[in-house]
Amino acid sequence: MLSKVRHIHSLTNIRRERVLPVVGHVIVRRMQKVSPTDVIVVAPRTPRYIMLEIAQGLNVSPARADELLQRQAGDELSEGDVIAGPVGLFQRVIRAPKSGYVKIAGEGKVLFEISAQTFELQAGIEGTVTNIIPERGAIIETRGALIQGIWGNGKITYGVIQPVSNQLLQELVPEQLNIGYRGAILAAGFCKSAEVLEIAANIPIKGLVLGSITSELIPVANSMDYPILVIDGFGSTPMNSAADGILGANKERNVSLNAQTYDPFLGKYPELIISHPTKSEPDLPVESETISTGKKVIIVSGPHAPQIGTIETIHPRKQVLPSGIAARTAEVSYGLETRAVVPLSNLEIIKE
Amino acid sequence: MDTTTISAKSLIAVDIGNTITRALFFDVVAGKYRFLASGSAPTTAGAPIFDVTEGVWRAIEELQFITSKTILSEKEGLIIPSTQDNQGVDIMVATMSAGNPITVVTVGLLDNVSLLNAEHLAKTTYSEIIAKISLNDRRTSSDRINLLTEKHPDVIIISGGTDQGASRSLLSVMESIGLSSYLLEDSQKPHILYTGNEELQEDVKSGLGKISKLRIAPNIQPVLGKENIYPAQKELNEIYKDVRMRQTGGIRDVLSWTEGHFTSTASAFGRIIRFLSEKYEPEKGVLGVDIGSFATILAAAHAGEETLRVFPSLGVGAGSKGILEESSLENIIRWLPLPLPEQVVRDYIYNKSTYPSTLPTESDHLEIEFALAKQALRIASEKTVPSLHRRSAFTSSLLPPFEPIIGSGRILTHAPSRSHSLSILLDGMQPTGVTTLALDQNGLLPGLGAVSEINPLLTVQVIETNTFLNLGTIIAPVGYARPGTPILRIRVNREDGRTFTREIKFGSLTVLPIEIGEKVSLHLRPLHRFDVGMGGPGKSGKVNAVGGSLGIIIDARGRPLRFSQDQEKNWKRNETWIKSLHKYE
Repeated sequence: MLSKVRHIHSLTNIRRERVLPVVGHVIVRRMQKVSPTDVIVVAPRTPRYIMLEIAQGLNVSPARADELLQRQAGDELSEGDVIAGPVGLFQRVIRAPKSGYVKIAGEGKVLFEISAQTFELQAGIEGTVTNIIPERGAIIETRGALIQGIWGNGKITYGVIQPVSNQLLQELVPEQLNIGYRGAILAAGFCKSAEVLEIAANIPIKGLVLGSITSELIPVANSMDYPILVIDGFGSTPMNSAADGILGANKERNVSLNAQTYDPFLGKYPELIISHPTKSEPDLPVESETISTGKKVIIVSGPHAPQIGTIETIHPRKQVLPSGIAARTAEVSYGLETRAVVPLSNLEIIKE
Repeated sequence: MDTTTISAKSLIAVDIGNTITRALFFDVVAGKYRFLASGSAPTTAGAPIFDVTEGVWRAIEELQFITSKTILSEKEGLIIPSTQDNQGVDIMVATMSAGNPITVVTVGLLDNVSLLNAEHLAKTTYSEIIAKISLNDRRTSSDRINLLTEKHPDVIIISGGTDQGASRSLLSVMESIGLSSYLLEDSQKPHILYTGNEELQEDVKSGLGKISKLRIAPNIQPVLGKENIYPAQKELNEIYKDVRMRQTGGIRDVLSWTEGHFTSTASAFGRIIRFLSEKYEPEKGVLGVDIGSFATILAAAHAGEETLRVFPSLGVGAGSKGILEESSLENIIRWLPLPLPEQVVRDYIYNKSTYPSTLPTESDHLEIEFALAKQALRIASEKTVPSLHRRSAFTSSLLPPFEPIIGSGRILTHAPSRSHSLSILLDGMQPTGVTTLALDQNGLLPGLGAVSEINPLLTVQVIETNTFLNLGTIIAPVGYARPGTPILRIRVNREDGRTFTREIKFGSLTVLPIEIGEKVSLHLRPLHRFDVGMGGPGKSGKVNAVGGSLGIIIDARGRPLRFSQDQEKNWKRNETWIKSLHKYE
């Protein structure tokens, strides 16, 4: 059976394509070094349009309105510039309501495009631009540690990682938060309280990485100004040992935290990247692999989640689970001497 | 007809689901078409592969392993048609539900008439209505243009105006649609499906034909009060295929293997239910429900006339969070037969949405999934029932009688026991009168729907075998009384002459232990003006019934089911009902 590979790596090659869905202007060059908050491409936001009823405004027929037009499609105007007229006793005119362009003109109407503000796409990771995608964005590469999660609140930052304890097994509680964490990206086991998220915002911290979070807190977590990344799931489970180990080993190092919205269909995962200057050339991580005996796996659902262990055996026939459902299962060993029978569908391969 | 009289052809039906891709294999055995095996693999429409063919390939590989038949060759890929030495298959058909729903803007004149028609049409496929435009919404033409250029939907459905009806107002809205299409980049230009006043078709062609991907279907409401969706539904299905082809890698290969016999899973599901309605009792109609990981489908058909509704983001896997958003945690918890803290249920739903292919290992978690399935069916049923009432005598909030009601989806077919499957269908659909609940035990319905167009004989012969498992005949009196009040007397006459009677009390779920396949005659005598579908409240009658795997079930819990504000009472009551069903299994 094919399984997704969960990306928790202490050292790997990381390549990210950062592109806009619309045409823009790429402002980085090949081999340029970028930090996560550097802008790599700018593009105008979706323009707004105003339909100007010229004939109605000038109180003339559409044909006469077309004769009175002073501008044509493509003309750039400043706010207040005359578009049509003057006409009548009071020299009535139609003016540009804002700065913009005449998009279409005729039949007594003008479709006016208001100059749009620009949208800026950030690099999202620290690394080197290895390729430019014309008018859309760039490919950025780096080497280092990678931890992908399953939920993010859509924000990006860059800063120093600070695990709140040696092992990220415990709930993050208000008493642990102090001014010493100002400007840091905190890592903790799990969070069950909205108060904790609010106190963290007031310190203020720069970001938060959690093993799990109770789903009730999602609206509050979404409203926080700092990025929040959840690695394993929803509830009150500690952080998986692989991610815990990487965060502990990289304490007080700079990390890129891209808590983008999770969209597995598009391959968008919220993630944390710690770039390492290294001469070794690790491979790009594989995305899926066949589950087999001896492979390291993370249990993603059920009472043993998020334990990481090794597949000891794969049962050749379906087994009946405690729920009564029959499924293909594997025996997974983890910890000192614990073994668990887990459905294959509840496992993801892990390559630390 | 025996298959030896025609040219027998082996066939693979592939269904590319949101999580799993399945390949079903059919061939002729002893002169009849049979379903022989299925293989499955994770769907690869999304990241990291972005190509459906990989998943299709792996599903067929599993099929090869199971059947020991060579279907794929390393050099040539799929062997089609089959060779002299019986390698490969003759025909392949495919259905697909994977991918995010297509985005739709509906346009109509009046909210409750044409806009509703357009909404019904949109719901015949995997779509999300992201905006509605009508004359009542007070948007200016600038607002409409900005809305459409900002949201750039995949499809704009224009409905409105009976034939010889309103035209000017519709044309003014179409001007905004035309301008927005003109303004969008080619890759963002929407498909436009015009289903309005037929007199405007030429104007629509000249105004929108050159600047958009325009399709025209017969008026969805040619005269006021008469909805004619089916022709437009076929056009929308073509658009769905086109959008999928643009968005998803590998569809062109699938189209080539299937010689174009590729459709949406929902459309194929609707087609097979329509097919069955022509085969079974046309008077009562056939109802099919499919509970998937991401979407729930409800299809009803009376003598070939179909009502199809697709509810994306309403499933028991990736769509489970959608059930929570569409209803409430309380409405999910009320179906549980055991007390579980709200937070545990909510966290489980979020985790299931995140890891949709995982299985519940603990019975608590399994009960949450069953509760989700019941609530998904409730939402789908409540939203569809008003459209099903053209032929019904019951009040409009209740499901009209159907014969049979067929359930499909892994949550039903992989449940630990048949009483679980029956309980989901019974609570979720809440049938009325006398009906049969059946199970599509091998998940063949969409595949058979896709096949029915090119090989109806295969469809008929496979259905005649073991496709559907009869779960049980249901007798559900409509009405309310105090719990414990006798509401129905039932006399059961067996074929061997033995008889027995039961008095059924309100609030109970009673199983009559009739063996599977055993034919009995039932005399139903409702009390207190309860309605058992014998022609009106209080009317008695005789009905022939067949025992299902759970016998005959008298559901005297009232319609619709009422719940207590006290969840503990609900849990206890649910536990009692489930025990009643388990008793005879």
